[in-house]
Amino acid sequence: MNAVTQSSTATAGALDTRPVLLEVRKLGKRFGGVQAVTDVSLQLRGGIVTTLIGPNGAGKTTLFNLITGHLAPSSGDVLYQGQSISGKEPWDIARRGVGRTFQDLRLFSRMTVEENILSATEKSAWLWQPGGRAEARRRREKVAEIMAATHLTPLANARALDLAYAERKFLSIARLIASDATIWLLDEPASGLDPRSYDRFVALLRSQVANGVTVCIIEHNLDVVVNVSDRVAFLDQGKLLAEGTPREVLDDPRLASIYFGETA
Amino acid sequence: MLLLQLLINGIQLGALYALTAGGFSLIFGATRIFHFAHGAAFMIAGYAFYEIYDKLHLPWYLALIVSALVTVAFGVLLDRLVYTPIKRHENSFFTLFAGAFGVGIIVQNMIGFFFGRGFVAISTPLSKGVPLLPGLYVSPLAGIAVVVALLAFFGLHAFLSRSHTGMALRALADSPELVRAYGMSPQKLSQTAFALGSLLVVPAAILSGASAGLNPSVGSHVMLISLAATIVGGVGSLRGAAFAGLLLGLAESLALAWFSSQWSEAVVFVVLFLFILFRPSGFFGRALVH
Amino acid sequence: MFAYLLNLSVLICVNAILAMTLNFLMGYAGIFSLAHAVFFGVGAYTAAFVSMHFSDSLFVCTAAAMIISGALSLALALPALRVRGEYFVAASLGLQMLAVTVFSEWRSVTGGLGGITNIPAVKVFGVPIETANGFFALGVGYLIAVALIIVVLLRSSFGRNLQAIRDSESAAYALGKNVSAIKTLSVVVSAALASSAGVVYTFYLSFINVEGFTLDLSVLLMAMVIIGGTGSLLGPIVGAALLMLLPAGLSFVPGLPQAEVGLVQQAVYGLVMVLLMIYRPGGIVGGGSRKLAASAAVKGAR
Repeated sequence: MNAVTQSSTATAGALDTRPVLLEVRKLGKRFGGVQAVTDVSLQLRGGIVTTLIGPNGAGKTTLFNLITGHLAPSSGDVLYQGQSISGKEPWDIARRGVGRTFQDLRLFSRMTVEENILSATEKSAWLWQPGGRAEARRRREKVAEIMAATHLTPLANARALDLAYAERKFLSIARLIASDATIWLLDEPASGLDPRSYDRFVALLRSQVANGVTVCIIEHNLDVVVNVSDRVAFLDQGKLLAEGTPREVLDDPRLASIYFGETA
Repeated sequence: MLLLQLLINGIQLGALYALTAGGFSLIFGATRIFHFAHGAAFMIAGYAFYEIYDKLHLPWYLALIVSALVTVAFGVLLDRLVYTPIKRHENSFFTLFAGAFGVGIIVQNMIGFFFGRGFVAISTPLSKGVPLLPGLYVSPLAGIAVVVALLAFFGLHAFLSRSHTGMALRALADSPELVRAYGMSPQKLSQTAFALGSLLVVPAAILSGASAGLNPSVGSHVMLISLAATIVGGVGSLRGAAFAGLLLGLAESLALAWFSSQWSEAVVFVVLFLFILFRPSGFFGRALVH
Repeated sequence: MFAYLLNLSVLICVNAILAMTLNFLMGYAGIFSLAHAVFFGVGAYTAAFVSMHFSDSLFVCTAAAMIISGALSLALALPALRVRGEYFVAASLGLQMLAVTVFSEWRSVTGGLGGITNIPAVKVFGVPIETANGFFALGVGYLIAVALIIVVLLRSSFGRNLQAIRDSESAAYALGKNVSAIKTLSVVVSAALASSAGVVYTFYLSFINVEGFTLDLSVLLMAMVIIGGTGSLLGPIVGAALLMLLPAGLSFVPGLPQAEVGLVQQAVYGLVMVLLMIYRPGGIVGGGSRKLAASAAVKGAR
């Protein structure tokens, strides 16, 4: 039950030559008496889409929080491009290129769509952004492009809290694109999307991956797991139980019984 | 000899600070409310005793009971009539802080109106120093302060770790749903926290009124001590707040060996600031996360 | 009568600047400070000191006040904000109480308990400001300048950063925003701008002492911001005007002894604050809700 199943098929072999962008090494997190994450080791390679699956409460979001610095690990390490980032401030980690979305989105609700995306491009904490008028114009142009790519252009001046559900989801992705993150940690991005929005989301994701973005998704949606992912990792009760191609992980009967709650 | 005297005074002061800070920490730990009217509770306790004992000349135990009842009622009513309605409308640090702040202002000024702005003292022969050694004066109040503080904290510890209500109080801040699942009402528990926390300041206020005196601005000083001790002791740790209160009392008293008394608040601020700089989680606090 | 109104107007301008800058900190940056009177005082003492020893130019005095005030606030904010907002409240309370002692004891700079008297007239381009009208113009001028600076800041990327932190601090972190640095900067801006009120005050009265910069004033300023309303620029100005006119209004209440007016008025602010928080947390200008149910909306329909 505790062994990690490593895949060894030919297709996986090709993917294994890509450089490791983010590595999680024996990561552990303890809250008082509860061990939320135990000894998790995972590698995210450049340009690969990895999906994390597992029952609710398995520690997937906690793992994301540990990677992004919103939580400090109790043990283990997180390495980004070979350098240890565990214990660093979340904004520091984000600036290095590790971006994320939240399960509850956490949009800047009282700002407009355009302002939300613009805010993601304004990295400096100072009273004004560097680069003067030229840079400011470039930023606005970039925001316009992103709004077009995420189908949000007609809603540019709508407040985030007035948006429909699917539109809010796209806004959270738009913010991520605007932040120029090279690794995306997406927490249930497809949940609750209608079929048309889902297709648009997958298309958007695929185009970003083609541009070099590395993605790690927490999802329950089987279509994402089977048709969008290159790798799948299965977590349960804070432990990584299996990691491999989607077919390998989904065909494992032990994991199915854990996930769907049937008796083994 | 001066240092020994200051040390003993510091222990007396520290015991009273420990009680006061403990009350604040208990309330904050259980309800997560930044009870900025804690200083007001202190003032009500002290002035109520003064009114009954010094002005109306009734026996001290009567004054004690009335003071305790009034202070506990104040704490509980504040929760029911001010904090709970505020939380229902908009539950945020700002609104609760502003509400507590407003109450503190009302109390401070009402007390100033009825009792005057100058210092009043609860007169008792117990505040007179008894020479134990040449140059060393200890008043019985010091002993009483320490004994009361010790009794209060042992009692509190037993209550929090053994009784159902006590254990529920400890769980309240983190999981009110769990508390409901055990058949207890978070609202009643919250009121219990306020009652207990406010009760703790009663002896501190009375003893303080007997030794240092009371005036309407004593509330802000009490707030500073409570806040500083809670931070220095570690947010979430009752033991820490009590211990830090003792430390602050000792520091304030011992500083008199080198600085004049106007700088006593400066000492508290310096200790607080040093902890914020070098050990923000305090003595026993949990690590802070984003 | 006119002279009385003019006098009141200058003082309202001074308090309005203080309330606006405190509102910038509390309403927009979400930081609670009980030390605002300290930066007012530092501004006042610095301006007096500079005008008496170095230069009587208004610009030099104001610049000096803003620099010293900003530097002090930086020393307070850098450690305290790195940790948590609640810590800043405690540290600011401590600073306010410490400052009163420093103002009372540091005789060479602050004149101790007696304060500083005979502060010389300050000059703008060589022209001294000495008349009541002149001070009214100064007060209004500084009020408008501070308001403009705040508006420009709020409309810029800095203002967006503040809004982002208010709407979702964790998301702000996730987008690479150095939240502590942004908050610290807000404290410095607030303190520096507040000191300009001290400059007006010191030259208007040509006498200052510690009594003008106590915790009571910090409390009053907070009351102005809370009662006027934190969500807008107009709120603190309304709050300042209202709370300054209240004592005048109360003096007409029959049967109220003059000596007690101060206590009653403060108790009234306290009561208004409590009632507002229960029924109308946006204050007089802000209205019923500060957050427009934003948090409920973000949780979203599932």
